Amino acid sequence: MSRATSTWAHLLGACVFALFGVCAALPAQQITVHGTVTTETSEPIPLAEVTVKGTTIGARTNTKGEFTLSVPDANATLVVSRLGFARREVPLNGQSAIAVQLVANAVALDSMVVVGYGSQKRSDVTGSVTSIDSTKLQHSASNNLAQSLQGAMPGVTVTENTSSASGDSTSIQIRGQRSILASNSPLIIVDGIPYGGSLSDINQSDVASIQVLKDASAAAIYGSRGSNGVILITTKKGGGGKPQIAYQGSAGTQEIAHMPQLMNGAQFAAFKCQQLNGGTDCNSALTATELTNLQAGNSTDWVGLATRTGVQQQHNLSVSGGTNGTSYYVAGSLLDVQGVAKNDDFKRYAIRVNLDQDVKSWIKLGTNTQLSLTDRGGIPASFSDAFFMNPLTNAKNPDGTLTVTPWPEDVFWNNPLQNLLAVNSDMSHQVFTSNYLQVDFPFLKGLSYRFNGGINYNGRDEGTYYGRNTLTGAKVEGLATTINTTSYDWTAENILRYTRTFGLHSLDLTTLYSAAADNLNGNELQSQGFPNDVLTYYQANVGALLTPSYVVSDSRMISQMARLNYGYADRYLLTLTARRDGSSVFGVNNKYGTFPSIAAGWNITNEPFWHLPTVNALKLRLSYGKNGNQAISPYQTLARLGTDSYLSGGQSAPGYIPDSLGNPNLKWETTTTANVGLDFGLWQDRVHGSLDLYHAVTSDLLLNRLISPVAGITSIAENIGKTQNKGIEFELSGVILQHGSFSWNTDFNIAANRNKILDLYGNGQNDVLNQWFIGQPINVNYGYKMIGIWQQGDDIAHSAQPTAQPGYVKILDANGDGQITPADMVFIGNPNPSYTAGLTNTVHYKRFTLSAFLRSVQGVTRVNTLLGTNLTQEGVRRNTIERQFWTPEDPINTYPSNVDQDASNQLGVLFYQDASFIRLQDLSLSYELPVSWIGRLNAESLRLYVDGRNLWTHTAWTGLDPELNSQTAIPQTRVIIGGIDVRF
Amino acid sequence: MFGSNRKNHRWINRLIAAGVVIAMGIPLSSCKSDFLTESPPHIIVPDNLYTDYAGFEAGLNGLYAQVRSERDGDSGLNGLRNEMWTVGTDNAFSNYVSTTERIFNTWGPLNTSLADAYLSNWTWLYQTINAANTIIVRADNPNVNWTPDQKNEVLAEAKLIRAWCYRHLTYLWGDVPLNLVESSGATIRTDWTRTPKAQVFAQMEQDLLFAEANLPETQSDPGKLVKAVAQHYLAELYLRMGEPDKAETEASAVINSGLYSLITQRYGVTANAPGVPFMDQFVDGNVNRNQGNTEVLWAFQLQENIPGGGENIMRRYWLNRYYSDKGIAVSAANGGRGIGRLSPTAWAINLYEPSDDRGSIYAIRKFYLYNDPTNLPSGKQIGDTLFLRWVTEKNSDPLWPSTRKWDWTDPLNVNNDGAYGDQPYLRLAQTYLLLAEAQFDRNELGAAANTLNVLRARANASQIGAGDVTADFILDEDSRETMCEGDRRYTLLRMGKWLERTRLHNPMAAANVAARDTLYPIPQAVIDANLGAAMAQNPGY
Repeated sequence: MSRATSTWAHLLGACVFALFGVCAALPAQQITVHGTVTTETSEPIPLAEVTVKGTTIGARTNTKGEFTLSVPDANATLVVSRLGFARREVPLNGQSAIAVQLVANAVALDSMVVVGYGSQKRSDVTGSVTSIDSTKLQHSASNNLAQSLQGAMPGVTVTENTSSASGDSTSIQIRGQRSILASNSPLIIVDGIPYGGSLSDINQSDVASIQVLKDASAAAIYGSRGSNGVILITTKKGGGGKPQIAYQGSAGTQEIAHMPQLMNGAQFAAFKCQQLNGGTDCNSALTATELTNLQAGNSTDWVGLATRTGVQQQHNLSVSGGTNGTSYYVAGSLLDVQGVAKNDDFKRYAIRVNLDQDVKSWIKLGTNTQLSLTDRGGIPASFSDAFFMNPLTNAKNPDGTLTVTPWPEDVFWNNPLQNLLAVNSDMSHQVFTSNYLQVDFPFLKGLSYRFNGGINYNGRDEGTYYGRNTLTGAKVEGLATTINTTSYDWTAENILRYTRTFGLHSLDLTTLYSAAADNLNGNELQSQGFPNDVLTYYQANVGALLTPSYVVSDSRMISQMARLNYGYADRYLLTLTARRDGSSVFGVNNKYGTFPSIAAGWNITNEPFWHLPTVNALKLRLSYGKNGNQAISPYQTLARLGTDSYLSGGQSAPGYIPDSLGNPNLKWETTTTANVGLDFGLWQDRVHGSLDLYHAVTSDLLLNRLISPVAGITSIAENIGKTQNKGIEFELSGVILQHGSFSWNTDFNIAANRNKILDLYGNGQNDVLNQWFIGQPINVNYGYKMIGIWQQGDDIAHSAQPTAQPGYVKILDANGDGQITPADMVFIGNPNPSYTAGLTNTVHYKRFTLSAFLRSVQGVTRVNTLLGTNLTQEGVRRNTIERQFWTPEDPINTYPSNVDQDASNQLGVLFYQDASFIRLQDLSLSYELPVSWIGRLNAESLRLYVDGRNLWTHTAWTGLDPELNSQTAIPQTRVIIGGIDVRF
Repeated sequence: MFGSNRKNHRWINRLIAAGVVIAMGIPLSSCKSDFLTESPPHIIVPDNLYTDYAGFEAGLNGLYAQVRSERDGDSGLNGLRNEMWTVGTDNAFSNYVSTTERIFNTWGPLNTSLADAYLSNWTWLYQTINAANTIIVRADNPNVNWTPDQKNEVLAEAKLIRAWCYRHLTYLWGDVPLNLVESSGATIRTDWTRTPKAQVFAQMEQDLLFAEANLPETQSDPGKLVKAVAQHYLAELYLRMGEPDKAETEASAVINSGLYSLITQRYGVTANAPGVPFMDQFVDGNVNRNQGNTEVLWAFQLQENIPGGGENIMRRYWLNRYYSDKGIAVSAANGGRGIGRLSPTAWAINLYEPSDDRGSIYAIRKFYLYNDPTNLPSGKQIGDTLFLRWVTEKNSDPLWPSTRKWDWTDPLNVNNDGAYGDQPYLRLAQTYLLLAEAQFDRNELGAAANTLNVLRARANASQIGAGDVTADFILDEDSRETMCEGDRRYTLLRMGKWLERTRLHNPMAAANVAARDTLYPIPQAVIDANLGAAMAQNPGY
């Protein structure tokens, strides 16, 4: 180089260096950073947390995804995180305006997960936790939170027991059934406070996320209530910035999905005549009413009269926003469902206020409060009556009113529609509030104290009146029932937490001391014998017979818990937890229980030796621990007397007799679980998922040990018995195709659980009466097995059923001894599924989104009660479903001949069917209007959608529905709704 | 910004933080040690109840309510409890059958240890025994607040009812476990043994003798037990024990006490209605001693629409389905609504002389009058008669005669299911029959004839002589007197004639009954629960 250029170069270098030095030497200058946080498709992400790395300075994005932050150092790094998205660190490099894009991923290892008493990065979680994407809840056609969880997470089984407008009757089971008598329902925590109410009282659109804690380590922090798993529900919080208004509304219809075919009048008459006298004399087999209706061609479709097209509508209006130090989310909602059964109505009005306020920079307090009013008034017709009511009887009188007794010759039967005439009011009002105060001690970095206080108050008032226009009322001259129940639960928790990072080590210690109480007080008054029906249930003071009763239930708990999370270099993780619970329901000798657990995790991809770029995340988890199931009802450990009164001189003489034995040793059920899990991510989390294997043994099961009736009391509750559950769960999510404005995502989950009773009463013996067998699942199909129908020409005389005739049920002689005795009962199929699976496919194209969710339950065999031969009662007084009978001309092998079941099926053998199914649970299509169109409305976004639930089912089951408990209840529904989602 | 202000700031902050923590701790420091103790305000436990006379009386009321349920269903309106010892005999069969009734026609494969009705009755009897034991054992607590007389009266009632339970158990199952202690959760037995009948009889005798000595002769409360009941049951027990002389003494004590006499005149609420004296004593309003009934020894108290009022399904089960026929509607005059599960056999209906009140149209329904204008068959008018037939027994026969002893309707609802009228449970006529049996056993045929003649005279039946008195005749007279009412099976078993006479007079069961059926099978659940010692089943099962 020439001397001139080199001098110039040196000068430049020196200037640059000096500039650099100057920059470095300059004191950290505070700058104000404005930014936006969006998804990869440029949609704003509200409520994202933006913090300055290494400090506690932070802010949240508003509903437009914008944030403003005073950053002390222009070269600091911002950490942007949001539940459901991968965390990102963004160096500022002096910029004061940045745009951050986050990758949406509910299970990506870098996202945040709520784990109970706090949240962790998913990569730090050592237990088995699964989550549901909140957008899935948003636009579901189901009204009930529990229904929206169906099939969405592996290992979480949600079963609809009865179809209803409110969706109240669903049961949730996590990883199979552990308890035989006690509840298998998981603990539900809403905003940190245990929630004992009905899930149908929580407004779905207020829910931000749901996490489910499945294994011992994750649930260990909940000690004596964690055995059945824990469901954590977090509601939406406000964001910083100008208030944003959002409205979401939908309306739609419900139809009956499937109804088995009942006999009509003519078919019933033929069936009855054939059975009673071989079809020779119909006139004497049928009563006068039946004959009249048959000849007139009348046939009453009772189920048809009890049902209608259902209608539902939902409206949610929310305002959220905040200023410095305050964020709020206020929402009001209305849900109005008229179910497919007449009079099955459900209305819910709710208001939610979520408020977070910084009192000082290191003191924060907040509240999450919901007030709701629910109206469940109206009693639907009795479907079990309507299914079987004789079609040749009269539903209505000539003047159009419902008959009191549809069948004058048989006044035992009431009108199945009589509930439609009952006066019923059922209102409940609820307050659920979870409040906190958090102190981040300024003088000791990493130490914080948090107080959680929650109250769940529920008051329910019901009044029912059956008047003389119903048989129930006519028999007793008016029957009135009023029930008032108040329940009041409170929880107070003190949580002390210390987090510290020393070099490569990170430490997170949480300790808890809490007290809680559940209190239920109810009184019921049943009265009958009134002068008239005018005052309905307000006339107990003139009733002839009054029967009051009380329900009182009070239980209290004191707990201590400690949890230590230790991590080394983001690679090795260890969690130790111990919880000690004392509860008032436990027997005097066993008031306290301790539940420890240990878990370890290994982030393999963070190891220096990992060189497989395809696999960007791989974590191995192991956990082992104990949880409890409280199981015992209050007062169950005490010996009690029951009421049995007599008369003295025509007046009541109160009386008591001993009716239960006390047991001071009763305690909780314990589940010991071992879990091995693997979380993985491939191609930068384009495909990610996890695999879990678990083995759980539940001991000290609460069982009613049958004792000899010679004692006068036939059972006593004891902790005996052991069950086992083991299984495998797998979930996988992936982006199958992404090309321009077209993308296709898939979520898949599958789980299999095997349940087994290991021991019952400590003596290796089975309980045949209750159908509990050692080595078999808790629920089994056990009975005589039908292997066909006796045909003409079979050698009946030398068979095990020598008195049978052709056309009778042929029973398996399991032990080959030539007789049919109770020893020939066998296990028939399995009522528990071999596996359950769910598959969601979502396709985006430009502004359209199409999503389909399929759910599958396979391997279930159940009794189809509708096929029973004993349904019609002696004299063929009740209807049954259409079916084919064995006749000599048509010798089928599946169903006996049309004679009295005392002959054809004397032992009452049941009919089993495959109840496996694949169901198109949800199908939705939505369209996002272009900004240019909606600009005129001053709206930011507007989405229209159509959603269908339970549109199609593939199953071999011929009953009402393969999933519902009762086959003679309100039918399963198919729902189609249309809705709109607007943000201003 | 820096300096002393900041230091003060920090100090104040620390103070606030500490204050917050302390304030939060205060409510929790009130965790008393009894925070976890349960004390339900609405549940009563034995230690709270059996502390004074009123408490023991409440316990006795529970016992009476249990005894009264003998004539109620074992599950709501289904399965009349006392079927097991009234039907499947020479004078009663099952007409409209359901699960339980079927057994007493078919016997054989249906008479098994798995029958629900057997376990239900076994459990009910032992539950009553446990309640009685609780009273008897706790009565000895010196801290109870009562007088010695009150104590003995309570013990007498409890012991009588306990003996009453063992009476049923020994007749039905033979040797049964003898349980005399209060059951408790701390000591659960799985090694019960079947105590030989003779030992159970000894305990029953002891209990009944105590009751005889300590019960008053009369009680102002019409439902309460009196001395005569103890004496009656003692008489029966002595017959079973093969001591007819003692039986004769006890039975005579009742008959000659001067307190009781057979109803021979019309009286009470039905005095002026068409009828016979024999039937007056079954009508609600006539049943109790203080209503003029001089024959009743023990009456069940019932009342509609009142707590403790009980329920009774005798009419429901014994009254036939006459309304199945066109033109005849349920009415109070027709006795109410029954479902005809149990019916008297043709032989029993035909056992009466034409003059015998107990077989008259006032005692047995032998015809109905058409009373439903909406539904008359062609050629019939209101008031025409439909005669019932009783030639051959069969199932589901709506036109078979019924007893009128249990007729009862609620005037505002003739269709109702239960009955709520008082009912005589034990009456003097049955004591007369025990006396006749004792005299027969002692070969005092003349005295026996005289005893039976008293009953027959009341009923306007002809008088008999000593030569007519045979075991069969006494049993015939018992059927005439207590048809559809008493414990027919027990009487037949006691005289060793159940199998023979059921074969002879009950065509539905004749071909099916066997020797083993003289004892019912011990319920399987009882045998299965006895893990500590194998409990033997009755022979033939």
